[in-house]
Amino acid sequence: MKIKPDSYMFEMIRTELTDVVGDEFVDVKFADKFGHSIDYYWIPEMWHDRGRECPKPDFVVHPSTTQEVARIMKIANQYKIPVVPWGGGSGSQGGALPIYNGIVLDMKRMNKIIKIDKEALTVTAQTGIITKHLEWGCNKVGLSTMHLPASIACSTIGGFLAHRGTGVLSTKYGKIEDMVMSLEVVTPTGEIIRTLPVPRHASGPDLTMLFLGSEGTLGVITEVTLKVHPQPEARKFRAYIFKDFHTAMQAGATLMRSRLGPCAMRLYDETETKTHVSKVFGMNLDKGAYLVFGFDGREKIVDLQMQYAREIMEKQFHGKDLGSKGGEWWWENKYKFFYPGYMFHVPQAFGTLDTVADFSHIENVYWAMKKVVNKEFPDARFIGHFSHWYDWGCMLYARFIFPGDKVPPNAEEAAALYNAVWDKAIRAAIREGGVINEHHGVGLKLGRYVKDLYGTAMPVLESLKAKLDPNGIMNPGKMGLPGCW
Amino acid sequence: MNIDKYEEAMMNCRFCFMCRHLSTIGQVRCTEVDTPRIRAAMLYGLKTGTNSFDDSDFVDALYRQELSACCTHHCVNHYDENGLALAARADVVEAGKAPEQVKKLAAKFAKTIGWSASGKGDIAYFLDETTASDKQVVAAAKKLFAAAKVTPKTITGGTIGKVLKVLGYLPEAKAAAEKFAAFLKAEGVKTLVVSNPAAFDALTKDYPEFGVKLPCKVFCFSGFLNQQKVKFTKKPCELYYLADDFMRNYDGCECPEKLLKTLKADLKPFGTNDEESYCCGEGAIVLDKLNPKLVKALAEYVAARADNPKKDKIVVLSAYTKKCLAKYGKLNVVTMEEVAASCL
Repeated sequence: MKIKPDSYMFEMIRTELTDVVGDEFVDVKFADKFGHSIDYYWIPEMWHDRGRECPKPDFVVHPSTTQEVARIMKIANQYKIPVVPWGGGSGSQGGALPIYNGIVLDMKRMNKIIKIDKEALTVTAQTGIITKHLEWGCNKVGLSTMHLPASIACSTIGGFLAHRGTGVLSTKYGKIEDMVMSLEVVTPTGEIIRTLPVPRHASGPDLTMLFLGSEGTLGVITEVTLKVHPQPEARKFRAYIFKDFHTAMQAGATLMRSRLGPCAMRLYDETETKTHVSKVFGMNLDKGAYLVFGFDGREKIVDLQMQYAREIMEKQFHGKDLGSKGGEWWWENKYKFFYPGYMFHVPQAFGTLDTVADFSHIENVYWAMKKVVNKEFPDARFIGHFSHWYDWGCMLYARFIFPGDKVPPNAEEAAALYNAVWDKAIRAAIREGGVINEHHGVGLKLGRYVKDLYGTAMPVLESLKAKLDPNGIMNPGKMGLPGCW
Repeated sequence: MNIDKYEEAMMNCRFCFMCRHLSTIGQVRCTEVDTPRIRAAMLYGLKTGTNSFDDSDFVDALYRQELSACCTHHCVNHYDENGLALAARADVVEAGKAPEQVKKLAAKFAKTIGWSASGKGDIAYFLDETTASDKQVVAAAKKLFAAAKVTPKTITGGTIGKVLKVLGYLPEAKAAAEKFAAFLKAEGVKTLVVSNPAAFDALTKDYPEFGVKLPCKVFCFSGFLNQQKVKFTKKPCELYYLADDFMRNYDGCECPEKLLKTLKADLKPFGTNDEESYCCGEGAIVLDKLNPKLVKALAEYVAARADNPKKDKIVVLSAYTKKCLAKYGKLNVVTMEEVAASCL
């Protein structure tokens, strides 16, 4: 719905919202609304680049308490106004875009660390806190969330919860869903609920997991209790160059199957090693595939883990050892990949075909995607790295990149080209046993594939949505769930 | 347009989030519009016609910026979004769209251009209005000059152009710079010492950009002391040092840290990190006059990060930051001059 700004109804709703949070925290000015019309999704970036207007919210509301969020939800329900929760606005899937206008619930005033429990090793925080600030707060007392993604500087912890985010140490410390103890949630109808205080129990289905990854479609996560960890005595890395991607993948999978428990691992295919890793590190890696891994914890144990891991890399797979320095380069530059100049940028067209699969399928997923992109879109370059490794498989961070001069200047044509790549590549991945996706979420970008992905389970998701959100106001049109036109 | 010189920053910052956590105003106001990304995207919108300076909210956002430059400092490519914002302000002024408050402030400062000198010799100490209004800083500087056995000529007076540049009045800023350079030449100044980091930045960076040549060497106060044979007999008490917008983010000047080392200062880390700006809009020079409510919020943000707000002793480099943190943050703040003088 679009509420006419010069209508008395607009003023009536603004009055009610102002009554909840105060006049200062209901933004209706163009500049403020513009700030919530573009996230990190390529389509709105391109739309803006072409001088086109993106959908804007009617109201940007900044609550400071859970109670305020609940009251806003009740108002929104009364008038059936769409509500889109917004954290840092750095999602790559369009999950926080106000595509039906309405209310954007900017959560960043809810940025307090409520408690750090040094006995249980947990931190409780409001979900609007920028994750870097949460991490800094924990660091101050010698602890860490160990949730250290590249987007730590710009994303709120709520954003990570809503999209099942993951950080560079996921292999040891898990994804965000592995770190959560419990949640406080405001339901779409404005009730405040809290999930059970511990994540391991036998008291029925886990409501915490219901809301994680729900992308604001099932409620607003307002508070979280996360596990935290002492800072490790040592964290050491080592890197290798393998003759090809396949050998490197075998080496990485063998390391995971050994259960030595690395804290992080990355494998870059030959193309990305040559073009990207070389550039970021400022060194010449023109042949082979770069694999880096690390261990952390007690130094003596780390050294022992590293010794066994080296045996796998060197004796079994004949990797060329780049030494600890070759691994430290990666750790020290891990975020550099995401700065302009290193990261892809409009006018290029690019996307991360983020897919996860087990070790039996992941290579097939990679080849299937690569084949379809190379065949169907000869102007695009396909690169990939494997960035989150688990006992059973890993995540493929595949990317396609069109040079700027190969992207149509017309916005509609550019969007059509972009969507066509996704259609071909994602369907190829799903056919090979891949799951979209590992940590960016579904949002607007991938919503059309959710039915394919869920199959006969889709009605379960739709029923949950309908029951929790009877008026369909929570982030409509995302995750393949109904819109509200 | 002036922003054309910063096209690289505009094109790269408009879709980049990597400094979001350092976005001082964005952090305090919890808004998107007050982030480098959205400012750059909005400025790009000028090119495509989706935005215009007719939108007073957009212009207000540009004048709300604290100009700490910590985004530029921490960016791996050092894209100068700060410079972009300053250029945009100049474009706003050229377009005749400056807010009334800005116009009045600029007119007021333009009237202050003019200086007087007292004392003799070719070493001069420039006391800008902000520093001159802090008697403790002035007294400490005097004591330190005496300890260094230097009797400087003291120059006082109005703006040397910085505030005009920051408000977007570039021709007026350049004219002030030319006049100040001529004044220094007429006074025979060979060495100029300044306490205010903003003045240091103006003299060492803005003036060369304006093509204005100075007849003298310019030292920040710490840099000057580092060159003198001053005997410090006492160690300062335990201190929290807040890095300065100008000296760290703009100029990369390490003189203050070097002096603290000489003083054998026992420094404790302030807050949770050393990346954010805690200078209350020092880079924007007159943010306290343009937007006192915002400066109060900035100071409170800093105060909330102090280990013990009532007891902690915090050292800063500018009288502006000292004033804001003491007034609004109720913190115990001293400048580097005061710390050094207490060690004599």
